[in-house]
Amino acid sequence: MDELIGARVRRTEDLRLLTGRARFVDDVELPHLLEAAVLRCPLPHARIKKIGTAAAAALPGVSAVLTGAEVKAAVRAPQPVLWRNVPDMRLTSAYPLAVDRVRHPGQGVAVVAAKDRATAEDALELIDVEYEELPAVSTLEEATAEGAPRLYDDWPDNVCARTTVVAGDVATAFAEADVVLAESFRFARQMGAPLETRGVVATWDPFTGRLDVRLATQAPNLARELLGEVLGLPVAKIRVRTPDVGGGFGNKFDFYGEEVLAALLSRRTGRPVKLIEDRVESFVANVHSREQKIDVEFAAKADGTITGVRGTVHGVLGSELGTIAFGPCFTAAACLTGPYAIPAVEMDVVAVMTNRPPYGSYRGWGLPKANFVQERMVELLAGRLGLAAHAVRRKNFVPPEAFPYQSPVFVYDSGRYEECLDLCIEAVEEAGWAERVAEARARGASAGIGYSFHNEITAFGPSRIVNLSGLQHSGFDEEVVRIDSTGHVTVHTGQSAMGQGIHTALAQVAGHALGVPLDHVTVVSGDTDSCPYTGYGTGASRAAAVGGAAVLTAATRLKAKVLRIAANILEASPDDLVVENGRIFVDGVPDRSIGMAQVGDAAYRRLDGLLPDGESPTLEEREVYDPVNVATAFGCTAVLAEVDPETGVVTLLGYLIAHDCGTVINPLIVDGQLHGGAAQAIGGALYEELAFDDGGRMLTRTFRDYLIPTATEIPPFALTHMATPADHIPGGFKGMGEAGVIGGGAAIAHAVEDALREYGVKITTLPITPPGLLAAIKRGATR
Amino acid sequence: MKAAAFDYVRAASVDEAISSLVADGALVLAGGQSLVPLLNMRLARPSLVVDVNGLDELAYVRRDGEHVEIGALTRQRAVETSDVVRRDVPLLAQALRHVGHVATRNRGTLGGSLAHADPAAELPAVAVALDAELVVRGPRGERVVAAREFFESPFRTVLTTGELLSAIRVPVRAADCAVEELTRRSKDLALVAVFVALERTADGRCERARIAVAGAGPTPIRATAAEELLHGRSLSDDVIAEAAREIAAVTDPPSDLHAPAEYRREMAAVLGGRALTKAVR
Repeated sequence: MDELIGARVRRTEDLRLLTGRARFVDDVELPHLLEAAVLRCPLPHARIKKIGTAAAAALPGVSAVLTGAEVKAAVRAPQPVLWRNVPDMRLTSAYPLAVDRVRHPGQGVAVVAAKDRATAEDALELIDVEYEELPAVSTLEEATAEGAPRLYDDWPDNVCARTTVVAGDVATAFAEADVVLAESFRFARQMGAPLETRGVVATWDPFTGRLDVRLATQAPNLARELLGEVLGLPVAKIRVRTPDVGGGFGNKFDFYGEEVLAALLSRRTGRPVKLIEDRVESFVANVHSREQKIDVEFAAKADGTITGVRGTVHGVLGSELGTIAFGPCFTAAACLTGPYAIPAVEMDVVAVMTNRPPYGSYRGWGLPKANFVQERMVELLAGRLGLAAHAVRRKNFVPPEAFPYQSPVFVYDSGRYEECLDLCIEAVEEAGWAERVAEARARGASAGIGYSFHNEITAFGPSRIVNLSGLQHSGFDEEVVRIDSTGHVTVHTGQSAMGQGIHTALAQVAGHALGVPLDHVTVVSGDTDSCPYTGYGTGASRAAAVGGAAVLTAATRLKAKVLRIAANILEASPDDLVVENGRIFVDGVPDRSIGMAQVGDAAYRRLDGLLPDGESPTLEEREVYDPVNVATAFGCTAVLAEVDPETGVVTLLGYLIAHDCGTVINPLIVDGQLHGGAAQAIGGALYEELAFDDGGRMLTRTFRDYLIPTATEIPPFALTHMATPADHIPGGFKGMGEAGVIGGGAAIAHAVEDALREYGVKITTLPITPPGLLAAIKRGATR
Repeated sequence: MKAAAFDYVRAASVDEAISSLVADGALVLAGGQSLVPLLNMRLARPSLVVDVNGLDELAYVRRDGEHVEIGALTRQRAVETSDVVRRDVPLLAQALRHVGHVATRNRGTLGGSLAHADPAAELPAVAVALDAELVVRGPRGERVVAAREFFESPFRTVLTTGELLSAIRVPVRAADCAVEELTRRSKDLALVAVFVALERTADGRCERARIAVAGAGPTPIRATAAEELLHGRSLSDDVIAEAAREIAAVTDPPSDLHAPAEYRREMAAVLGGRALTKAVR
């Protein structure tokens, strides 16, 4: 039988998903179901002077109306802040609805449950809110200005936290540098926008006191813990199930107030309550991400050796701390050196609150910003020193013999960066991009090639270490592998399926370890009553790496039991047995064999004479795996782009990634993850921006405003792979769920700069828009 | 978002549609590609929706003497793929490739797009470029409005209560046509688009130019000064560049989150030059 780990098999999930048979949270129908809707304030900052709900409550079909004050009175705790990177950071005590003050456009002020969504929305129009508008700070500059209006009266300013990532001797590095290069980079507000918006159905059973929640989430165990914390319930009284989840991208990792509202409305009405975020409100109700300003200086020697980095990451947060607070801003600082061995680092982090919607997770977290900065600085430094950018990369890569390598925060387990760079360069040569650029230039067009190199922190993460760094949660993973009486395998996982193919990947690992065909393995996920516990959730590129490791270990142990039983039946030694395609053979004696079903039967039903003495019935193993370290995947991205210098329009013609994520479980899934991440990188680099007007109101309301790239904006992707297994993880797996999105921005910027080399365009801001790029081209042309 | 409550009539005849549309706050539902999202966002709050999708008599394309007449309910995709349109009104067929996606063009109608009067949309600009006549039926009978008179301001036309756009008549004139459109993503509404139909003499001079710009003002704009400048001239690069500047000069574009007004105006010149060059080639 072919090995299942590494097999390019089709995803078992896809037939249902592609034929419309999936059932998402909005498809959940229950008897007496109510539907809820949230009234949202359009103002960025206002005091709620009065809120009248009588008319709404009196509307026929309306079952309950709750205001912020009522919600606050009904909960035990404010919305939990999970990532507390700085011990003395200021917390914002946010509740699911604004209590007496609105601090961002789109913040909820009341919620209605009614017989259907249209009636609930009718009722929202009858709620009478009187606001007293307050001066708002919508930008980093406004929020940090001298005498700026403050979001929290008891804070001295709008800064939530300051911290510094330090390594080595920065002062000496800069004092002894041959060259010091300073630059400032800006990243627009963006967000993950899965096709399925967020949603919840909550049923609070008045007789059992049990809360049954169906939630579109990446982290059912975490949601259960946090619901318990907020509602003051033992977790045993809470069940969280995930139906099919139509994309996560991190924003469904975070824990939102709507989960609490649906639960409270159900308790109030005694009926199930569905609360679905619609597309329009998603632009204010979903967490926002990416917005940062990063000022850096790089110190280097004339030969291109980078000796020091210092600067500041300004996190432009929203009005309240979300689940992850300013985690991505800290990560941007922590990972600013990326794949490079830069000995001295001093990166400040300043987390600033603004009157914008809260900050949260989006695929890549801080890494896309860190990578953009480090790769842009490498290219700028190369330009300054008259060196090739790749020469500077090679000069500074962490060399293979230096692993495990202590970077300023994370320990990199393994890597062959220079080989990966060469792999990418070769692939670009084979693809004939240089010829395509020459040909474009010959016809008067502006074309260019850009590269970026990235590494990615995956397989998150050692529980005690993440606790030490401020995470109020764990990072282990628990998996259960079971063989039934017919010899078929079921894997119960705490990881969430959200379209990424985790069922297929875990089935491959279990099937591989047990020697059974893939279609004999079923994976069950998405139910805290029947599935095991995973720390954190399905995010941080950890499901396949740590979940795969736990399944592999459990399945390997289970196989030993299978062999003991089979050995008893076959009257052989377990050491002489081999398993192939679901049959157990005495090695070298092909006619002495039994099927997995016979072993299953001996373990569950007809034990006598078959199950060895002293062996317990049933076939089940459980493994709790807490990795000793994260695992670092890495890759090199190359982009071929053409720019129209008269319009500033960028067209991507080619996109290539050379990638290494250790042992690959399924190359097809890895390719798909890279494709999807790259598409989001393209959106982030060229199209997406959540926009606000000068008064701080949200301008982005629909997908006509928020420009997600469509199929026509996506160039052909080409991928090439190498494998440097993670020695410390069973199976050698590394994660790669965020890989595609990390390196895209810098590679696109470099391709654009290369295409416009005669104009000397320098890109320091994302996204690159046609009006902005045209202005830069003109500045270059007049220089 | 769910629409606010409204009454609904599926009209069985044009007369029934008109008599229903006399009601206060009545709106026409044709292909629904703009109205339905507006309803769901509660940005449109009609008291009555008059569904004209059953009026098969309003879905046709025919050559009628020196005109091509197209029923207002004709689906955009049907117009785009019509042999008559491709032969006799090629600018319209070319422009339709930029209107949404095939899936939306399968539902969206020609009349719906015109009556919606989005200043960034392609079809109103094409109607203006081609001196189309819009046939309007209402409680007081039929009237014919020149496309240039039809659009008043963003999303507003001369249609009054009870009136229904029933057909569009486009004069057939042999011309070299070109469309140049700038969008943030392919198939988005235009940041700016220029539509050109050039009639030329045997020696290549411009006999008559018709040029319209979308996305550059409150309504589609006819670039009359550029048209006059081109009249009788050979279409050299210099002449085209001069005309392109004139095209930009008549624009009065909006600023929004996708592009500032100055950028749009400048692009009107770039696209105008490219469209003229393309038409000449």
